[in-house]
Amino acid sequence: MNQEHTLTDAVAADFPTLDRQDEHQLLPQLVAHLRQHRTKLRQEWATRIHDAHLLDAMTPQEMSTETTSVYDNYVEVLETGSVEALQHYARDLSERIIPRGVETHEVVGIVLLLRDVLARSLFEKYQRDFSLLNRVLDAYEPAANRIANTVAVSFVDERERVIRQQQDAIKELSTPVLPVRERLLILPIIGVLDSERAKQLTEQLLTGIRTHRAKVVVIDITGAPDVDETVANHLVQTVDASRLMGASVIITGLSPEIAQTLVTIGVDLSKMNTIGDLQGGLEEAERLLGYTVARRDGSGG
Amino acid sequence: MVRRIVRARVADHPAADDLVQETLVRVLGAAERVEPGMLEPYAIVTARHVVASMWKEQDRQRRNQHRVADLRLPDAPDEDLLQGEDRAAVAQALKHLSERERRTLLAHELHGQDTRSLADELGSTAGAVAAQLNRTRARLRVEYLLALEHTEPFSDRCRPVLIALSSGDRRRQREVDAGRHLLECDLCARLSHPLLARGQSRDDELRIPIRADADVVLARQGVRELAARVGFSGTDLTVIATAVSEVSRNIVRFADAGEVVVELLKEPRPGVRIVARDTGPGIPDVERALTDGFSTYHGLGLGLPGARRLMDEFAVVSEVARGTTVTMTKWCQEG
Amino acid sequence: MATGPALVSILRQGPYLIASIHTALDDSQLIRFQKDLIDQIGRYRSRGVIIDVAALDVLDSFGSRTLRNIAEMARLRGALTVIVGIQPDVAFAMVSLGMGTGSVHAALDLEEGLEYLDSRLPAKDVGRAVSAPG
Ligand SMILES: [Zn+2]
Repeated sequence: MNQEHTLTDAVAADFPTLDRQDEHQLLPQLVAHLRQHRTKLRQEWATRIHDAHLLDAMTPQEMSTETTSVYDNYVEVLETGSVEALQHYARDLSERIIPRGVETHEVVGIVLLLRDVLARSLFEKYQRDFSLLNRVLDAYEPAANRIANTVAVSFVDERERVIRQQQDAIKELSTPVLPVRERLLILPIIGVLDSERAKQLTEQLLTGIRTHRAKVVVIDITGAPDVDETVANHLVQTVDASRLMGASVIITGLSPEIAQTLVTIGVDLSKMNTIGDLQGGLEEAERLLGYTVARRDGSGG
Repeated sequence: MVRRIVRARVADHPAADDLVQETLVRVLGAAERVEPGMLEPYAIVTARHVVASMWKEQDRQRRNQHRVADLRLPDAPDEDLLQGEDRAAVAQALKHLSERERRTLLAHELHGQDTRSLADELGSTAGAVAAQLNRTRARLRVEYLLALEHTEPFSDRCRPVLIALSSGDRRRQREVDAGRHLLECDLCARLSHPLLARGQSRDDELRIPIRADADVVLARQGVRELAARVGFSGTDLTVIATAVSEVSRNIVRFADAGEVVVELLKEPRPGVRIVARDTGPGIPDVERALTDGFSTYHGLGLGLPGARRLMDEFAVVSEVARGTTVTMTKWCQEG
Repeated sequence: MATGPALVSILRQGPYLIASIHTALDDSQLIRFQKDLIDQIGRYRSRGVIIDVAALDVLDSFGSRTLRNIAEMARLRGALTVIVGIQPDVAFAMVSLGMGTGSVHAALDLEEGLEYLDSRLPAKDVGRAVSAPG
């Protein structure tokens, strides 16, 4: 009886403002504690991250900066109950570490480690009053889980966004329409062409023809390993559609196999302007453009 | 009190274009001035006017305004005549409902009893009662219109089709092939106007009757506008419009009447489905018609095979002397 | 008949006719356009025809075929035809449909179309075009 009384007094002395009847007062007290022991707890956390081989991709200095930020954000969420700032920070952090190959389990792992480090510290702090400890943990755990959840979701969202962005960028890159000189575009086709990419390529080329007012287009298919019937059909359609936009097409890099495929699907190769290699194609393109200019100069003079 | 309910309903459910409900709402609005025994004839006259206004396809805003502002008894000169005619129509329509259906509907609409308390009385659930009320209303609308026309359906197919239209149940409409029946049956085509006028608020479906050249342009412009809303690229929109142009031209060329129905799809991903149907002579050999170079009119015969190349899914069902239905779908590219 | 703005306009510029389609046309309007244009080619003994289709939302099998027919009839009357202004998405849909303009020449826009005709027609005709009032 007496001893219990002393214990309570000791706790009360630790937290003079603590009103044990008021659960709402618990979190602010936790926050104060976590702020007070920030350096020590953060260090302990960093050590455990290191031991668990998480975030190996980061330098010690980066680790120090990021763990401090995460720690402060973490405590701030406990204090304000709002995850908004943490969400922003988590997105930001994700954006920085995703390109370095950090995986979802690592991010979730470090947040769970922090949760445990802080929980352990709270346990040490309140172990003298078991019922108070219970209530402290009751207040802490839901908030901590919410934080872990927020960080994980932010990371996954960000990663998906980055992946989508990269895919778009690759799509763009894989069908570059290059303006070589006035009125002349080169479209090098590199990599495997499927129906979807072939369609995209045609759309880009047609828009490019209008934008650059191209009169000649050189499509170089040296870099396309496989051209099956479907792709060959797309190729023919691209040539036709370019003509409808007023541009002539020269195809370069046509292998005997692809030529055979074109013949198989009934393409009259004599009606397609095909040249062995890109260099020859460019010369032919310039001849076509020069021819046009010469005629105009001749007739206009 | 009644007036407050009316206003609340009109304000809260601007889209509650339910013919019966609208009628009954007006009855409620006038209840203070109408003798209890007069309610039924009054409902009849009002219903007649509501139907008439729908036939005229007045825009909804005007109807709503009318509902709020003008709750006077209609004073048409031939009111007595109409009243007699309509009383008979409603009486006949009500005869097609079971006693229980009739009682439930009136309890709900006229006395404002909610579905939960109705469900308690009937030993059912509120959801089931609400669904039953919808079916009852759908049937009542159909029977009322039939009675007004002084006619019985021409075939067994009419009632199921009309009820499916009346209830706005699209799956059921497909099951009974409502679209085709409307092309073939004058009565149902006529009655479908007031029934479908209720559903005009649907903004993910478009129905374009095809009779003349100009309708082909309307159809492709309509489909372009609608499909733009689910995120198709400009190129895809043109591709879809071109396919619609081909299939609607076939209707103009080969059939007296037909329609193009455009429907936006959400599952499994965004897309658009186009159904083009006609009551033309039909295609004896669909396989051949889908072959390049096959031509039955002074053209290149590219209509069907061309449209097929443009779309992701394409199906033709044709019956000689009855007509052709082309169903085609285009899905949005992902990303 | 039509009281609104003209659906098409056909302007004479020296030995050329410049026909512009201003809006989406239905089949009967296309046929009428074809007839009017061919009539005027004959009347003015035009040497070149430019058809500007930039305003067409769709060039389906009928539209493509009509353009081809016009070019062929114009050729029989001694005029060279060039189609200008086919939009990228329209061009894409045309070839996906399996249509083209056959041997009819296409150019990017009016300017390119004129240049094409100038380059293909005998210099004396072109000279007339240059000196003709714009
Ligand atoms: Zn019927």
